[in-house]
Amino acid sequence: MPALPVEEVDGLIATGATARMTDAVEPRFRPGDHVTVRNLNPLTHTRLPRYARGKTGTVEADRGVFCFNDTNAHGQGHKPQHVYGVRFAARDLWGEQAAARDVLYLDLFEDYIEPHGT
Amino acid sequence: MPDTHEDLDTREDDVALRVRAIESLLIEKGLVQPAALAAIVETYETKIGPHNGAQVVARAWTDPAFKARLLSNATGAIAELGFSGVQGEDMVVVENTPTVHNMVVCTLCSCYPWPTLGLPPNWYKSAPYRARVVIDPRGVLSEFGVDLPPEKEVRVWDSNAELRYLVLPERPAGTEGMDAAALAALVTRDAMIGTGVAAAAGAGGAP
Repeated sequence: MPALPVEEVDGLIATGATARMTDAVEPRFRPGDHVTVRNLNPLTHTRLPRYARGKTGTVEADRGVFCFNDTNAHGQGHKPQHVYGVRFAARDLWGEQAAARDVLYLDLFEDYIEPHGT
Repeated sequence: MPDTHEDLDTREDDVALRVRAIESLLIEKGLVQPAALAAIVETYETKIGPHNGAQVVARAWTDPAFKARLLSNATGAIAELGFSGVQGEDMVVVENTPTVHNMVVCTLCSCYPWPTLGLPPNWYKSAPYRARVVIDPRGVLSEFGVDLPPEKEVRVWDSNAELRYLVLPERPAGTEGMDAAALAALVTRDAMIGTGVAAAAGAGGAP
């Protein structure tokens, strides 16, 4: 990989590089769907926090199609897929000690979740 | 966070040494140009920082149409003010209200909206903040000096994927006559992470 030349620094910082992809991929889930986080425990790169595994939440937003970090980080392709903003009740994650009305949001790749009750 | 100064100094010395070692290796191997590195450091030390985000917030407080665009398409609205780029490619703005308080964390690493807030403070990257804010947001907030009433809903945004989050704080009382420039001075970095609230009128903003 060639070193970044100084004259390209400003342009790179101002532009960035979105991980959003233009592939036409049908979403498997819709806002309002109840989803359960799959019990995945890869020893390689992932964006799935352990505390959410096996927990059930509600899809609040479809964030669009993004490059899948878990495969791309290891040179195994972009595997473009929808990312969903999923809302969890704090008590569903942490039990009775959590405040009843508090919530937590995670952006989850489609591969991380399955329909609740499957 | 309850670090002693001694702990913090030692840790920062360690980090500085490690950074210097990595930097000289990267330059030696031709992977990094020293001039490019200097330009990047200069940019994040002098140009890009929470004063950018403060302008976004002040504009939202004074321009309802902008606020509506900011909440529906944050990336596009923020781009109107010119604060786009690396680690701000896909933005979401979440609004604090009298009934909702939002906080942002990245439990897996240190994801943070650079174009609007600059580089993250050390505590944001620290294991204690990342581990505790998800399970005990009210306790962490209290250590930052913010005590929320139990009836207020706390929303924690754990930004591990590709979206980056900015909190739109509540506009402080008594600021009705102030213009956007004066309001921006009340908007602290912590208020836009959600570990603080905007300063009261006349108090001035700390970073």
